Amino acid sequence: MDDTKKRLIGCFELVFPDLPESEIPSASQASVAAWDSVAAITMVNVLEDEFHLEIDFDILADLDSFERILAYLETEVRAA
Amino acid sequence: MTITEALKIGKTAPREVPLFSVCLACGFTPLHVRTFLTAHLQELFHDRRVQVSTGLYGDLAGAIENAAAEQTAEPWDGMVVALEWPDLDPRLGYRGSGAWKLDTPADVVNEAQAILSRIGAAILRLRSGIRVAVSLPTVPLPPLFHTPQWQASQAELLLQRDVLDFAYRMAESGRATIVNSLHLAEQSAPAARFDLKSDLLAGLPYTIPHADVLARFLARALVPALPKKGIISDLDDTLWRGIVGEVGVEGIGWDLAGHAQLHGLYQKLLSSLAGEGVLIGIASKNDPSVVSRAFARSDLLLHPELVFPMEVHWNAKSGSVQRILETWNIAADSVIFVDDSPMELSEVATAHPGIECIRFPGDDPVAAFAMLRRIRDLCGRERISRDDTIRVESIRQGIAFRSQAKDESSLESFLQQVKAAIVFDESAGLTSRVLELVNKTNQFNLNGIRYTPADWERAISKPGALVLAVNYEDKFGPLGTISVIHGNIAGIVLHIHTWVLSCRAFTRRIEYQCLKTLFELSGAAAMEFDFRCTAKNGPVQDFFAGLLKDRPVNSSTLRLTRAQFEEKCPMLYQEVRVIRGAEVNG
Repeated sequence: MDDTKKRLIGCFELVFPDLPESEIPSASQASVAAWDSVAAITMVNVLEDEFHLEIDFDILADLDSFERILAYLETEVRAA
Repeated sequence: MTITEALKIGKTAPREVPLFSVCLACGFTPLHVRTFLTAHLQELFHDRRVQVSTGLYGDLAGAIENAAAEQTAEPWDGMVVALEWPDLDPRLGYRGSGAWKLDTPADVVNEAQAILSRIGAAILRLRSGIRVAVSLPTVPLPPLFHTPQWQASQAELLLQRDVLDFAYRMAESGRATIVNSLHLAEQSAPAARFDLKSDLLAGLPYTIPHADVLARFLARALVPALPKKGIISDLDDTLWRGIVGEVGVEGIGWDLAGHAQLHGLYQKLLSSLAGEGVLIGIASKNDPSVVSRAFARSDLLLHPELVFPMEVHWNAKSGSVQRILETWNIAADSVIFVDDSPMELSEVATAHPGIECIRFPGDDPVAAFAMLRRIRDLCGRERISRDDTIRVESIRQGIAFRSQAKDESSLESFLQQVKAAIVFDESAGLTSRVLELVNKTNQFNLNGIRYTPADWERAISKPGALVLAVNYEDKFGPLGTISVIHGNIAGIVLHIHTWVLSCRAFTRRIEYQCLKTLFELSGAAAMEFDFRCTAKNGPVQDFFAGLLKDRPVNSSTLRLTRAQFEEKCPMLYQEVRVIRGAEVNG
């Protein structure tokens, strides 16, 4: 497993402590009941802490699944 | 603290422990404030899991009113109220659509007064065991007033006055602890607090750093640290400037003229703390006769009668500290040691793990200012009770008492003539002194169990519960409230859950009188005690070893029949009075 994915799983474990690790890679706003707007904002802040990024609230709506967040992070990490 | 760190603290909190349940009342989206509050509270507890729930979004007054109305169903230990301007009128925020017109400020002031009255009334209706911490508005008022920002409009001044009036009423009532806004401004710069984007998009008006600092302040206000009980100070170049053995009594100084004002400020702080019940002792390597003459100077700002004891000689300071701790009968971790010498600080710190060592910083005003404030923070207490103000005198009296009582052969006649009077007060269970004594007593403590105010209120409100606050006085003077007993009666057995006795009250047979009075008041044929061995409760183990056949070990229920007690009870000479209250609930 690559480093970004592993670190992202750690972020999900923090924000969604009740979500089994095996379900994290397929998690999305639609499949995780606890993924409300508060959790979405918390996730952005945790990602900022973990990856030393500044994430604009405006793209919050796009970061609605593990897969999409991972793709976003990989782009950002490459750009950095 | 970052959000990630806060979440990790929450995630690693112990699970199989009692909850510390807090209601966070705020009109904005709680979001990070909740996360940080949970984390900062959790850091204050090792034996509780913190759970923070939130009230109605957008209706702060309603949330507190609901809490006050539904409190019997809610197991809350505390409530945190994070007040912001929009809670007083939505037009003071940025998310509402209310128009800003010429007459809006006056209307807003009236509305704010009404809401503050509602909030205040609801806080006063909360169950007394629920601690309440309140922060006053922390973000800027919107630009709806007619003045430029550098000029305060009358309406703004009225709003600030009304908020301060509300805060004063809450603090005066003793029902709420108010976050110090000036100190908050030192830790969270006002210009760096407000985040309009976050407010508009997420409903949280705070920047993340401000949410963190505010939550930390609220946590401290809700769960205050136990204050230090005593300060042991050096003299030369600490209490005063100069080495008295070299420059003479007139050569030492503590005022502006002598360029020694920092020492004068330190003396003033010690004097102030002594008046509040903090014990002040001296550990100095000096000639006792010279020090005695120095303390006779009439311009000393710390009066000698406030200082007890003084250890002045040429031996190691760790030994002086040891003897002072024994005289005060308190542990090193309840004490601050102040000295200008790093070597002395190190020697004392090594010999007394847990003692708070603070270096007097010489002529550095910045460091001295920080030191004075640190000492105040370590010793600060929410309110001063009569028991605090008589503490040093009662220790002096204790020394006199023990010195006269140590002759075993004349002990009985001595105890007969000390004119001891004990008052058992059945109505004082909810006073702050009672819970304070329960939570800070280590030595004569039946089991070392600590209570939150809410736990205590629940415990003593149970059907059949009995709680006694014990006050003592003899010819040497009053000791104040020195013991608390809490139990419940079940048939012919009195079950004791809590029993503490201040170490200042040892050697007076008060513990025997407590049991004798309990047997008489309850009519019980036996008592059962929730005993637990702790690292520090040797005196209570000794007491039960004298009453029962064997010394108690580990955690167990100790049973004592009336016959067993009467067989072992020595002669008691105290005059006893009982103040009846809600003696038995239910």
